[in-house]
Amino acid sequence: MIQFNDFSFQYREGTEPVLYNVSLAIPDGTFVGITGAAGSGKSTLTYAINGIIPHCYPGDFYGEVSVEGLDTIETSLTVLSQLVGSVCQDIDSQMVSTVVEDEILYGLENFAVPREEIPARVDEALNAMGIADLRNRTIDSLSGGQKQKVALASVIAMRPRILVLDEPTAELDPASSVAVFELLSTYARQHGTTVIVVEQKIALLCDYADMLVIVDQGRIRFADSPDAVLAHSDELLALGVNCPRSTTLMNKLAMQGMYEGPAVRNVAQATKALAEVLA
Amino acid sequence: MAKFLEYIPGNSLLHRLNPSVKLVCAVLFAIACFVCSNLAFLLLMLALALALAIGCGFARETAGLCKAVFAFSLILAVVILLTTPYGAVLITLPWGYIGSGSLLAALTVIVRLMAAAIPLFLVFYATKMTDITNSAVKQLHVPYKYAFTFTSTVHFIPVFMNDMSVIMEAQTARGVEFDTSNIIKKIRLMVPLCVPLLVSSVRKTNSAAIAAEVRGFNLRTRESGYKDYPISSLDVAALIVCILILVAAIVIASIG
Repeated sequence: MIQFNDFSFQYREGTEPVLYNVSLAIPDGTFVGITGAAGSGKSTLTYAINGIIPHCYPGDFYGEVSVEGLDTIETSLTVLSQLVGSVCQDIDSQMVSTVVEDEILYGLENFAVPREEIPARVDEALNAMGIADLRNRTIDSLSGGQKQKVALASVIAMRPRILVLDEPTAELDPASSVAVFELLSTYARQHGTTVIVVEQKIALLCDYADMLVIVDQGRIRFADSPDAVLAHSDELLALGVNCPRSTTLMNKLAMQGMYEGPAVRNVAQATKALAEVLA
Repeated sequence: MAKFLEYIPGNSLLHRLNPSVKLVCAVLFAIACFVCSNLAFLLLMLALALALAIGCGFARETAGLCKAVFAFSLILAVVILLTTPYGAVLITLPWGYIGSGSLLAALTVIVRLMAAAIPLFLVFYATKMTDITNSAVKQLHVPYKYAFTFTSTVHFIPVFMNDMSVIMEAQTARGVEFDTSNIIKKIRLMVPLCVPLLVSSVRKTNSAAIAAEVRGFNLRTRESGYKDYPISSLDVAALIVCILILVAAIVIASIG
């Protein structure tokens, strides 16, 4: 369980808080999508989970954040990093090795995973991300999507209970973005891992997330199931979050009393709902 | 062609050597080049280094490296020519002269720098950064933090070079002409680029440090490294050869 209790944070060099009075509970095994306009505080929210705040970015920290019952202020980054696996936005900076296999070994060696366990862990991570064939490739020869999968594999090899990803599909094409989410979702379901993803592609988040968190100017405006959040497409648009057009269309029909079902997430659901309306 | 100092996979003699042995051998080779000033010996060392590079399939990378080292050593050579009047007078200068000895000294500097640099650079082309780090930690007992810092610095050189070329391309697209033959003008055009490069490098370095920390960087011990780096007979032979080269250099230097 990840728990935010009245959490506010202001970076040391900042002039005003980045997050205000955040209270949020994320149950174990939940796939959470965090979205919002640029500069709304999404990344800061994830930094508070993996301990980067306050351990790497000091500032004024108010309230309480706990991860698996551990207070993130009192718990060292080293301890937190054994619970929370993080994939940063800048993948190239995250890579410390020249070859894929070494990149996956890096965390395992740091955490002193028993030698006899390491080969199985590396195989498992490579297979989970579908990149077993890239094992001996140099990082520099990989595409953006492949690098993203390597970064994910290097983190899941450490078997964290929580995965935090900051815009993992920022540099990927639509097909690669779906592939990364599909792999992530499958892995999380199989291992009961809590996944927290910061992402601008709301349609993609809605297809995979159990909970959608909308952050606006440092405040959480919505934290609910995707259906419940998407029902507020007009408000979301005002917050700078573009809902899928199919969602907006069906919400407009619902406002005019022409549709009574739940908010739709994609064209397929809208087609089905429209067929029912027209029937 | 690989980027500057970037690992090139392969199975050459250099690839098969133990990373620590490779590093030690390259250092011994470089020391030998600096111990002895005999031009014939240095030319032999340069020929050896070039033969090693070609034999291991790094001819193109070495050619690029030689070009860069030659350009740098040429500056030093010119300074030596102009400031070390020695030997038979060849050209008279207002403050002295360029002598046959000056010419020999300048030539020695060029050959020495090229011969010393090639093996050191070949180590990086033939060894994964992580292997250099882990091997240095396990076998040379270098503290992990220092070994990681060193290899990360080398790892970031091509990244920053790439950033620089991206910044230059952006400026070129805005009409800045970098391909001028006037060196002073070129330097004046390049100086403003240092600011965005510095900002980008600080940001990248910070991200890398955080990424390493959240993956347990501080927990690393000498024993936790997974791979072993055994010393083979090939490594022993390479070490012996390099020690003999160093001894030969010392003997030639002392004979004069």
